[in-house]
Amino acid sequence: MDLALILSAMGCWLAASVLALTRLPGGRLYIGLGLLGAGLALGGATHTLIHGQVSQMQFQFWGAAVCLELDALSAAFILPLQVVVGLGCVYASTYWPASTPRTGTFVRFFYALLATALTAVFICRQGMIFLVAWELMAISAFFLVGTEHERPEVRRSSWIYLVSTHTGTLCLIALVVLLFRHTGSLLWSGMPTPGTHANAGEIVILLVAILGFTFKAGAFPLHFWLPGAHAGAPSHISAVLSAVMLKSGVYGILRISSLLPPVPHLGGILMILGGITALYGVACALAQRDYKRLLAYSSVENIGIIFMGIGLGWTGRALGNPWLAALGFGGAILHVWNHAFFKSLLFFGAGSVLHATGTRELHALGGLGKRMPITTLAILPGVMAVSALPPFNGFVSEWFLYRGFFASLLHDSPWWAVLAIFALALTGGLAGVAFAKFFGFLFLGEPHSAAAEHAHDPGPSMWVPMAILGAICLFMSLGSPLLLPLLDRVVSVLAPGSPELLAAGLGRDLSFLSGMSILLIAMGAGAFLWLRRSHSVPERPGTWDCGYAAPTARMQYTADSFSDGWSALFPMVKTRVRRIRAIFPGRTTFHTGFQDAVGDAWLAPRIDRLATRLLRFRRLQRGYLSIYILYILIALVAVFLWMLVRRRLLG
Amino acid sequence: MEDILPIRLVHLLLHGLTALLVAPLIPGLINKVKALVAGRQGPRILQLYYDLAKLIRKRAVFSRTTTWVFLLGPIATVTVGWVAALIVPFGHFPAPIRFEGDAIFFAYLFGVARFLTVLSALDTGSSFEGMGSARELTFSALAEPALFLGFATLAKYSGSISLSGMLASPQFTLSRVMAPHILVLTAWFIVYLAENARIPVDDPNTHLELTMIHEVMVLDHSGRPFALVLYGSSLKLLVLGALILGPFLPRTHYWWLDWVAFFGALAALAVAVGIVESIMARFRMNKVPQLLLAAVVASAFAFTLLFA
Repeated sequence: MDLALILSAMGCWLAASVLALTRLPGGRLYIGLGLLGAGLALGGATHTLIHGQVSQMQFQFWGAAVCLELDALSAAFILPLQVVVGLGCVYASTYWPASTPRTGTFVRFFYALLATALTAVFICRQGMIFLVAWELMAISAFFLVGTEHERPEVRRSSWIYLVSTHTGTLCLIALVVLLFRHTGSLLWSGMPTPGTHANAGEIVILLVAILGFTFKAGAFPLHFWLPGAHAGAPSHISAVLSAVMLKSGVYGILRISSLLPPVPHLGGILMILGGITALYGVACALAQRDYKRLLAYSSVENIGIIFMGIGLGWTGRALGNPWLAALGFGGAILHVWNHAFFKSLLFFGAGSVLHATGTRELHALGGLGKRMPITTLAILPGVMAVSALPPFNGFVSEWFLYRGFFASLLHDSPWWAVLAIFALALTGGLAGVAFAKFFGFLFLGEPHSAAAEHAHDPGPSMWVPMAILGAICLFMSLGSPLLLPLLDRVVSVLAPGSPELLAAGLGRDLSFLSGMSILLIAMGAGAFLWLRRSHSVPERPGTWDCGYAAPTARMQYTADSFSDGWSALFPMVKTRVRRIRAIFPGRTTFHTGFQDAVGDAWLAPRIDRLATRLLRFRRLQRGYLSIYILYILIALVAVFLWMLVRRRLLG
Repeated sequence: MEDILPIRLVHLLLHGLTALLVAPLIPGLINKVKALVAGRQGPRILQLYYDLAKLIRKRAVFSRTTTWVFLLGPIATVTVGWVAALIVPFGHFPAPIRFEGDAIFFAYLFGVARFLTVLSALDTGSSFEGMGSARELTFSALAEPALFLGFATLAKYSGSISLSGMLASPQFTLSRVMAPHILVLTAWFIVYLAENARIPVDDPNTHLELTMIHEVMVLDHSGRPFALVLYGSSLKLLVLGALILGPFLPRTHYWWLDWVAFFGALAALAVAVGIVESIMARFRMNKVPQLLLAAVVASAFAFTLLFA
């Protein structure tokens, strides 16, 4: 029943994509189909999460058994997916309308296709079909990333994305084959027998899965494709890619690990990987001057936090400690939700700013708070949530993870729990710096350039989705005790045999926490009213600024100076200053730039060198059809010979 | 004895009154100590109360650059102080509200105040305030791990991640003050000085905006918003003071004596801050991170020592 809802939702999205392709003027119909699909899928996913029933469908397709299944884990990923693609569809109607020259229909077609493929990824339980859905997702994302392909940097980042995602797919093909050899079936079903630990073959399967899915999730050091791709795409696409598509990697890791017995120590390793990813991502976010790249790097950070949660869950599973497993997996899933909502909000906000000003440079903006008051108000919950500040939802999931780390500390005090607490605390602090920079230099102060002078708020079809997401960010925190039963359902898929631990163990504490958040908001509102009641001096002078009488907008602090205190610690920031000599120095220059430690600094020169070496193989490509037919013939003969020799050699 | 309802009510009343009224005494005491050490007479201990009363009646001036974001900083400073006062125990009586994990909430609450104060400062478009906010965020991001490693030590020691469980646990006596505790006290005292913008991290009395950190971020506030800022920072002195004193207060057999001990310790903390301010100069900006890293290392050692 729930699965039927999801399937009909996919049908809606598919119909929407076909509609976009026909170039009929059905703008409203497209949005209607999208919203209908999102609504149907949300209904199905929510129902599954509340009741925890698994709905399944098996049929034969080309002689192979195919299985589609909707359980709590799938539903937990479909839920944020459909909220974001549904709202993104509305947002795009103004942001990237069908009438956009050349790319209007193109974007709408692939957007709806991406929504279909992503939904399919979450319900396919058979290796081959999963790979087909996965590829459909990757390819539609590739075309969306390359929307503005006339700009060279977009072209470059979309190619890097394509190569990375296919390298990941290569690992996934290996994974499907290995799983097939392990279980004797392409179907992904069944639970590991409780109490066992993984053997060598199963560990290899899990490692291949982690490698393949990490390419998609964008954890360090396989994140290098992410910032360019996510920053270069149109903003509503960036929202879907960052908020939801990265999570398909997380989903894959969780799904495969739920099929296999627990592996000891792997949880600790994943936690360290997550901690490094989180710190690296937030440090890079801090150094960005392109506000969309800043958001993209912050996604790397959040994937790190999710990985830390999964690592904790795996540790709990391996130790046979269901409470740790529940806290880890529950925190990870909650952060998947929270990140989906606040990150899509932030990308929608960034899109509004880009729409209004046409620049992605933090340097050129500022003072938008007066010119775009609705956007400013709507984006503030997202900014505070991503900095993990109460009373918004980002804090709640980090609180879950802290609870888990402290619980393991009190239980058997492993060294990694202390490291994880350290990493999470530092990440939180740095995220605060990065997003104070993001919000402060976009919306506050005076405009740094003419681009920001004449900005204005977008229409309701753009700000209403943002307002909805902002409200979700607030209510997921205030109503967090209500989410515990849903999280319990998901945890019971990932760590069987631990029913209802979260609702029983965290319910009281979380109610107190949300009560305190409500108190915080109420007292803040009271103080605001008290301040508004007082009289202020009617004339409004300029900022005092130590009495300087003629300040200009260019004298304000810049975004670069704001994060400069950290640049000494980060090898990614390269600064070139020409020394000032002599008493009357001439002109001097200052240049500072950012290089990703993995993508730009390490990988790019090596790839370039490899490409030069491989040039000598170019002579094989003559461009004559007859030569290619010859190649095929040679290959066939070689295979034929190998068959003969193999008979002889192996008996 | 403490479970008797009237005594519990007295405790709650004392807790509430302390949170509401006592806070502005602490800056007054610090300033008095500084003045006495310097051989001056100094302002009255109650000076901040008079200042607040005056500021509340004054009209506020708002720069034409600012928006509603400008008001968020002062509001958050005070609300966060009060909410935090609800979950931190004063002395040995558990706080009015306590739940497992409130220590994490406590730490992030001050993150909210800091973040919104920074946004208020950036809202003025002043270069000095931007500079101050960059420093404030940088230094407190470094102070955060020290605070959390201290929490980890105390949590391991007391088996609880609630502030009331960590700080006001009933089985605690004087004998528990051992090496890890001393290290945590050292680390947290540094965090206390950094978070409250005191020497050697920041000089609250400096007259040069270029060298200020916290003070420069509130340069543009006036009237009621400024009253909130001043009151909020005195609340922070009180609440964080209760946090760092908690594990080290001797426990007596009489509940009223526990309160006296708490107020005495708070006064001693204020005197200590005043003396540090009198005998030290502010560190160079690039030396401050080293001091904070020392705090991180001290609390990391404290945690390691628990296993020795």
